Amino acid sequence: MIWLLAAQLVVMLPFLFDLPLWLLPVLVVVAWWRLRVLAGAASQPGNVVKLLLIGLGVGGLLLSGLRFPSLDAMATLLLLGFAFKSLEVVQRRDAIVVIFIGYFLVALHFLYTQSLTAALYGMVSMVVLTGVLVGVQQAITEFSTGQSVRFNLRLAVFMLLQCLPLMMVIFVFAPRIAPLWSIPLASGQTQTGMTDRMAPGDIEKLGKSDELAFRVTFKGKRPAQHELYWQGLVLNHFDGHEWRQFDRDYDVYQLKTALMSHYRWQPERMQVQGNPVAYEAVYETSGQPWLFTLSPAVEVEGDVLRGADYRVMAQEALQAPFLLKAVSYPATQRDVVLPEYLRTLALGLPSTGDQRSRELAQRLRREAGSEQVYIDKVLARFHDLAFEYTLNPPTLGDKDTIDGFLFDSKRGFCAHYAGSFVFLMRAAGIPARVVVGYQGGEWNAAGQYLAVHQYDAHAWTEVWLAGRGWVRVDPTTAVAPSRVEQGLEAAVQAEGSFLADSVLSARKMPWLNGVRQQFDAVQYGWRRWVLGYDREEQAALLKSALGDLSVGKVALFAGGLFAAIGLFWLLALGMAQRRQPEAPEHRLYRRFCEALAKRGARREPGDAPGAFAHQAAEHLPALAEVIREFTQVYEGICYAPPADGRVATRRLKTLLGKIR
Amino acid sequence: MSSGADVANALQAQLDGWLRQRLPSARATTLNQRKIFIVPSKTALGLVGVIALLFLLGINFQNSLVYIISFWLLALLLLNIFYTWRNLAGLTLTAMGVEPCFAGEKAVLEVALSRPVKQTKYALELAWKGEDQVQVDLISAQTLRVKLSHSTEGRGYFKPPRLQVSTRYPTGLAVAWSYVYLDVQGLVYPNPVEKAFQPIGQSHGGTTDDGLEIAGGTSDFSGVRDYQHGDGPKRIHWAKFAQTGKLYTKTFVDYASHDLWLDWDELPMPGIEVRLSHLCRKVLDFHQEQRQYGLKLPGKVIAPGKGEAHKARCLQALALFGVVSE
Repeated sequence: MIWLLAAQLVVMLPFLFDLPLWLLPVLVVVAWWRLRVLAGAASQPGNVVKLLLIGLGVGGLLLSGLRFPSLDAMATLLLLGFAFKSLEVVQRRDAIVVIFIGYFLVALHFLYTQSLTAALYGMVSMVVLTGVLVGVQQAITEFSTGQSVRFNLRLAVFMLLQCLPLMMVIFVFAPRIAPLWSIPLASGQTQTGMTDRMAPGDIEKLGKSDELAFRVTFKGKRPAQHELYWQGLVLNHFDGHEWRQFDRDYDVYQLKTALMSHYRWQPERMQVQGNPVAYEAVYETSGQPWLFTLSPAVEVEGDVLRGADYRVMAQEALQAPFLLKAVSYPATQRDVVLPEYLRTLALGLPSTGDQRSRELAQRLRREAGSEQVYIDKVLARFHDLAFEYTLNPPTLGDKDTIDGFLFDSKRGFCAHYAGSFVFLMRAAGIPARVVVGYQGGEWNAAGQYLAVHQYDAHAWTEVWLAGRGWVRVDPTTAVAPSRVEQGLEAAVQAEGSFLADSVLSARKMPWLNGVRQQFDAVQYGWRRWVLGYDREEQAALLKSALGDLSVGKVALFAGGLFAAIGLFWLLALGMAQRRQPEAPEHRLYRRFCEALAKRGARREPGDAPGAFAHQAAEHLPALAEVIREFTQVYEGICYAPPADGRVATRRLKTLLGKIR
Repeated sequence: MSSGADVANALQAQLDGWLRQRLPSARATTLNQRKIFIVPSKTALGLVGVIALLFLLGINFQNSLVYIISFWLLALLLLNIFYTWRNLAGLTLTAMGVEPCFAGEKAVLEVALSRPVKQTKYALELAWKGEDQVQVDLISAQTLRVKLSHSTEGRGYFKPPRLQVSTRYPTGLAVAWSYVYLDVQGLVYPNPVEKAFQPIGQSHGGTTDDGLEIAGGTSDFSGVRDYQHGDGPKRIHWAKFAQTGKLYTKTFVDYASHDLWLDWDELPMPGIEVRLSHLCRKVLDFHQEQRQYGLKLPGKVIAPGKGEAHKARCLQALALFGVVSE
């Protein structure tokens, strides 16, 4: 039973990272009590204590502010029950209930994380639970405790491994059904990655993280590195300090409403041109609905929202890795005719503030003959006045941040350049907007995919030009062209600030790079093929394997696989032979009887060996001694097995030789 | 009376007949495919519930790993059937014999269990329902002997009813079992009365009749004595009469006077079983007192003797009195 407790701890451990902290002391107290019961130092808690514990648990649950019904609440409740149950494990039946809840919890944890490490840990939990299940069912007296634990665990490993082929076949063939009802997944999961607002300094924070944002596999040619602008959000509204999507904050539902009404996707407003780029992206769990695509994504597969700014957005905040298949046409002209609503959004400025910048814009615009020349002048200014691209820009205060950057500090990250550029455009009457997302990515040659990390976060701009629609302008390239050509690491190399805070990052150790990329490739394969295996993938896979998808064909195929696995099991368990191998003494005795039968002494089925020996000896006096000895040795092996049966078996063989 | 019970009985009889045919009795039986039955246990139903719940969870959250756990458990449930079945397959049961006992006591069957060379067997359960059960593992030992007891009612032969061999190993999610009819029988002696009727067994050889000769006592002639009225003519020592003119009776008396006879006919009480019980008690008592005794039953006489073998012979005669041997 102590192993049951150990298994419970193994199962509960990973939850501690996701669930309220007060669970830990409760679980520790329960485990401690259980240990004392097992040691005989305490008795099973009485009903009063149990009620008290349940009350404490429920109270904690209510106080911890978990929403009902939510996954967190369900998991916490189940975990409490799981722990408390150990206080009243008396019989085998109770132990089995605990183990079954344990199996359930192992699976439940995958709703929190589906990473490869979590999956491997889950496998360990499965082995431990199964081993304990075997141990609970029967005690083998011949084994010491240590022996039986090792034996049970090894058996569990063998059994679970032998289950893998069948599990995979069921996984591939089991029908995938659409969700039946919806439970809010996690309450208050952290958000990571890009947010829907941009103040100076925001994107630098992302620039210092080497967490993965998403991975992309291209079908066909991969665009050049400097063309990889992964658009997330368009930020239209500037309040003098911060860039936001709209003039006020929208929550997810308001945003969805906007994306379905006035801010909706209107494909007729673009003229598709140029070469397509087809790709599949798998986004990491971010707790946010933003998806990142090469703009504009013309064809998109999956249940997503799209907006007037050519964004692609998930229906819900991502609580699990999300797969998107898209085809983009980067050369497409967008909004050659600009709706008034969007024009207004793209020209809005705060009524006051940043006077110097406004004056600069008007002066430069007057000097420039055309909008294009004006744009070039502004970009040239960044370059000529020795603006600096840095991950550690000085803080700018709350007021006149554009002025502060353009005229005083002249040191900034992409957000500073994009924000001030759009400000200068708008101040000169040119519709412009900030785009945030990621730029570039790391090519993984081992896995043939692009990995985009948080440090690839980037902000750039779109300017609306008559006759051309929205044109992408990245003011950062004016100061640090290497940012776009080679990535952030190269761009801030001189400064030495790349991932300066993460001393232990594997990225810092070039000799580990190969291993890191291989590992990442495995994880990506995991994401795409295991976690991403849904109804569409299933249909695609079966189609490619079977041609068409008639029910009969699929059933036949699956049936064949099941039969093959059944056969594999029979073979693996050594059950396919017709005759079970006999113990050597029984085989020799059978031959002995056959040999004697040839000489006329036939043994009737019911004859005991002793009685038969007597008869046979009478019948064959010449062999009487041999027969008697053979029988004696044989009975000796059967009824008082010697430590080493081989000596006796050899003797039987010698004697048998004499009879023949 | 009730036709329902009749039908049930008929069905039961039919099932027994089928089982007997499928599982013929023999002294040694090796369990193979044909003989092993297997079904999922109640525990398995619980696990099926867990699997179904997990499948729902997988559907609802579209979570591949939850699906995987659910399918993995399902596969485990199925694989386990093979494991449980294998744990029983190839097991050989050999009846070693049934120790004799007295009616009403427990008859003890000794069975040798042996496993195939390359397999070890765990948690095998042998049981007579409601009587006795024993659990054994065959790990280091190739063969083990186990004893099972079964209550007896009357004297005669005890034929062990079908023995259930079962296992739930390894996970308890399936139960494999087989019935074994072992072709073995044991003696059940009559139930000895607590205190035997006194005069019985005190009778001397003097009252013997021809029956004694049959018993082979004639060759053990030991002497003569004076003729007494009533001595049979065959017993008269004619040679001595010729010599002395006096009637002498050949004596087996010196010899027989120390012998005790347990004679069925001398028992005053009625009833076969009662008489047998009394005789049984006397046999035990005489054996205990290390005396020499013989047994006379209608149709069977056991000459006086002593010792374990003699006691066993006498008790067997009592046990099988009137029983048609097979």
